[in-house]
Amino acid sequence: MSLLTALARVLAAETGRAQPIRTVRHVHLSGRPLVFIPLQLAGEACAPLAVLVGDDPGRPAMLTVHEPRDRTQRFDFAAALAEVILGYINSYSTVSTAPDQPYPDAPQLLVPNPQGAAFTRLLGRSTRFRRTDGEFAVKESVPLLGRWLSFYAERMEVPAAALLVPMTTVLADHWATGQSAAEDANLAALLGWIVPPPGMTGAAAARAAEDPVRFPPAGPATDPSFDNEVLEPRIRAVRAARVTGDGGALHRAQTAMEAALRTQLEPTWELMWRAIGLLRTIDEGAHVAERWQSDCWAFTSHVAHLRDGGFPQPRRDGAVAAAARLARLERDQQRLNVQRAYDDPLVMAEYRLTGEAFAGTVTEAQSDRLDTTGKRAKLRPWIVVETAEQVSAAPGTVLTCPARPGQAAEIIEVAPAGDLTHVTLQLSGGMGRALVPLPGSVPAAGETISYTTLRDDFQSAPRFPDREQTPWTHGGPPPEYVPPVSEDEAEDIA
Amino acid sequence: MADLIQTLERRIDRLRVAVREAVLAGDGTRAKTLRAELREADQAWEAALAEAELNRTEPPGLSRESQVGPDAGDGSSTQSSLLPLREQVYEALSLLQVPAAPRLIATVHEAFFATAFSTTRVTSLRRDEERSFRAAPFTRPYYICSALIADFLSPARALLAVSTWPMESRVIGSLSPRVDFLTAAIRVAEAVERIPGPMPAARRLLWRFAASIPGAAHSSGDVHPPTIRSAAEAELTVHADADSRTRREAAERARRQLSDVEQLFGIRLKPAGRAAGAVDGDA
Amino acid sequence: MSPTEARLARLRGRTPPRRHDARTVAALTVNPACARRALMDAAGVDKQQLAAHTGYPAPFGQSQFAITRGNAFEAQVKDNGAAQLLTLLREILGLDITEAHYTDLNEVGGNQDSELRHVYTKQRLTAAVMGTGTMFDHPLLRLDVAGRYAYLEPDLIAFRHRGTFHIVEIKSFAIVDEQADPAKVAATAVQSAVYVLALRDLLGREDAVHHETILVCPKDFSNHPVVAKVDVRRQLGVLRRQLTRIERIDELLALHSDELTFDLDPGEDQRPRRPPEELANAVRTVNASYTPECLSACELCYLCRDEAQGTSGALGKMVRADLGGIEFTRQALDLARGASPGPDREEVAGLLVEAARLRQEILGET
Repeated sequence: MSLLTALARVLAAETGRAQPIRTVRHVHLSGRPLVFIPLQLAGEACAPLAVLVGDDPGRPAMLTVHEPRDRTQRFDFAAALAEVILGYINSYSTVSTAPDQPYPDAPQLLVPNPQGAAFTRLLGRSTRFRRTDGEFAVKESVPLLGRWLSFYAERMEVPAAALLVPMTTVLADHWATGQSAAEDANLAALLGWIVPPPGMTGAAAARAAEDPVRFPPAGPATDPSFDNEVLEPRIRAVRAARVTGDGGALHRAQTAMEAALRTQLEPTWELMWRAIGLLRTIDEGAHVAERWQSDCWAFTSHVAHLRDGGFPQPRRDGAVAAAARLARLERDQQRLNVQRAYDDPLVMAEYRLTGEAFAGTVTEAQSDRLDTTGKRAKLRPWIVVETAEQVSAAPGTVLTCPARPGQAAEIIEVAPAGDLTHVTLQLSGGMGRALVPLPGSVPAAGETISYTTLRDDFQSAPRFPDREQTPWTHGGPPPEYVPPVSEDEAEDIA
Repeated sequence: MADLIQTLERRIDRLRVAVREAVLAGDGTRAKTLRAELREADQAWEAALAEAELNRTEPPGLSRESQVGPDAGDGSSTQSSLLPLREQVYEALSLLQVPAAPRLIATVHEAFFATAFSTTRVTSLRRDEERSFRAAPFTRPYYICSALIADFLSPARALLAVSTWPMESRVIGSLSPRVDFLTAAIRVAEAVERIPGPMPAARRLLWRFAASIPGAAHSSGDVHPPTIRSAAEAELTVHADADSRTRREAAERARRQLSDVEQLFGIRLKPAGRAAGAVDGDA
Repeated sequence: MSPTEARLARLRGRTPPRRHDARTVAALTVNPACARRALMDAAGVDKQQLAAHTGYPAPFGQSQFAITRGNAFEAQVKDNGAAQLLTLLREILGLDITEAHYTDLNEVGGNQDSELRHVYTKQRLTAAVMGTGTMFDHPLLRLDVAGRYAYLEPDLIAFRHRGTFHIVEIKSFAIVDEQADPAKVAATAVQSAVYVLALRDLLGREDAVHHETILVCPKDFSNHPVVAKVDVRRQLGVLRRQLTRIERIDELLALHSDELTFDLDPGEDQRPRRPPEELANAVRTVNASYTPECLSACELCYLCRDEAQGTSGALGKMVRADLGGIEFTRQALDLARGASPGPDREEVAGLLVEAARLRQEILGET
């Protein structure tokens, strides 16, 4: 959140249309993503009701659980879902690739909102420990699906990751609407601001989208009035038909229930693909491909992990793993922030407002200046940048120019000049090895340029103790990993 | 016919939208009216479809003969008993020998007598039994009656008992629910031991008892009736005396102060006054 | 009836007062700055009905499935003398084996009258120290909220002999891998704190009721119950402060005309006859303090949101803060386009101009 974004929201409210707050797309968008829209039964931890899923906008697969509290039906549903999702995933992991190379592309799951991602995580958790033998056996594909869904959900914690993406989060990251962030959580309202129907303002479109009868919620929660007035009678009809054993009535009741649930899913399906189309019209930021490579690597190693019989993710991290993970996440977030600023002038503008970056014109350039103080002479050009913007960095700070990432610019002096500021910078690196700089490697007088304190330091990871040496303050070494038995196997789920 | 069905379906969809809109607009009266219309339309649709199917030449899917009644919304098994409900309840209570709630009664019956019934039918049974008793007292060998709360001798909300049991068994003090639970556990364990091959439902029931009695879990992790029995008996000795005292005193009071029908079905505290025998202070 | 109560009754109009329960008392702690809400809640106005009649029906509703599931889970743990609950309480409170009493306070001798139940509850709870009570099912407590009694019904109160009382709440949201939805736990914590206050009130002693309440939830994806302690000291502080504020409702009332009323003027069929626009205007005479948080907390949210259009607050607390507290979006836009700032606004005006310039430079727009 920043003043720039706040101003954009204010502008949106005034103009009646959402305002762009990014000039490039900072999230990778797959050429063939899997859209996954789950609905769950109210009041339960994770009772799937129906889903619409598919990688082809014209061919969504719909799966329904006619008795969401029936354990057998729930796991039959999971097996059916596994076919779709594992099939999609396999289409990426059966591509041949060199042994030390990642798969060229990775499967990407798109859900409507963060709650959809949370549901994915819970669904993974509720299926990955299920036994495939014994009294309560499930099909093999079920725990496998669970492990994949858990992998996707956990990967979301990585700031730069884009394997599982909630659509409202991405849209809200690129556009500012004239409503609050809380209201942006409604996918239909958010898209109403961004692409209002002809003749309507964004505000009016968003307001209309709050009517749950015409714009069913994107889930996983269903609208209570739908639950009470439509779903409940249909579930009751299914139960009644099951008890009386009337096959015809059962089929009719099931069909009617599916038809009702379809009305709650299809509009969101349309919205998701419309959003995908919208995002595709924006060019990708320069670092997006590199981040997606990491995702491809993560995908590749998980495929290998599963193939080699690796254990499913434990329920909770041991202390060492948790600390290491936290440090890694902080580093990743910092790197992501820097990359986004480098890729996108609108993001960099936020730092210009706070003085952590400035843009200006080069007024002087001593491109062949040498530093002869040491044993050997070093090429250390000086340039003076004149800027009207705030410069809050002090002499000695090392800055970077986004257009010249390999070059460091140390502040020698910051001198006011009327309304402007003159910043003298000493450059090193990115100019070749000779004592004469390569042509163009030093900014020339008259050139417009910007500098920022933002640097990707590539700090090495802090040293963490081996897990056997977990200090007693953190609970001692974690117990040996034993795949847990699901305690609730025997339980009726409701 | 197909046209009628389609028209009805469209009408139903329109009505559903209208009901939801009325609910969302906070118009409860209109919602109620529309729901009634919706019910009618639904029934007409069902009837039309059923008729349409009858006229078709292919047989419908997996249909089965069955006589289970209309309250089949709880997923209970379709196997029904030839005995009337009151006798099934009597069977279950006779096994337990303590007052019990409809859910436990139904579970016991399913576990040991292989047929189930819905708990909603059981709750209306007590009212029917009271009416039957009032009309012709003591004409039946037993009645399914209430258990009485010791303090007020009012009927315990969710408990059923058998009229032929002594009054002491049919009054409930503060420790009685626990005592009766432990006693029921013992009875169920004994019943499981008597049967050569108990149903999974019986073992599940015993498991649920065991989970709530300290020391009832067997080292094997499996259900073990003797362990459950001794654990229940052990805790029972802790509460038995205090509970018996309360029950004896309440039973004497009931016999002294209540009429026959009141001893079976309890009395109710009237809003403005106090019923006879209401307790002032600590029991 | 005191003059304040009479005035509040006039404010409410001809509908019976909305009974407070733990959820609505807890909701008083959300947005304490809103005078409109404070007055309505003090007067017992049915905000849902009022919102609907002014043309802004609230977006709240409850799914039958959730209600049924909640009831079923509660019934399950309370079955058979609360057998499952007793097992959990023995574990978490260290109850003695003799402490297994179950007292049903849902009704008194078959009678469900609130007054009666409250008196009986008080009797039974006070007598608990003599070793005759352990678990009290649906006790009826009472809390004075702005001169009216709110009857509050915790799921259960547990008493440990020679120890203290604990509030027990049974909820059907799951605890998965020892973690539960933080928002739901937070909501339960405030509710439990309301009960703690009410029970302390009833017993006349603070130390008799523990600040650690008990939460019972399904474990993972099953129906198997699991138990956790919830410390509500912070929530108790917030509640006490807010309830004290409500006691000073006179000060708020004094700011408004004696004629002011939110009466719906119900006809014979109970349907409101008051002209909606007139009612809405009456509502608007009392200041609200709308934030987007209201959309999930208060039935009047749509009416207040409409009214708040054009304010930075409507866009969110963070946006308002980012704009240096400028109240109206119009002001922010003018400043961004170079209007001269008043005192205290120079800094943010400078930033807004700069921000607009940056957007112009990068996007080529104004």
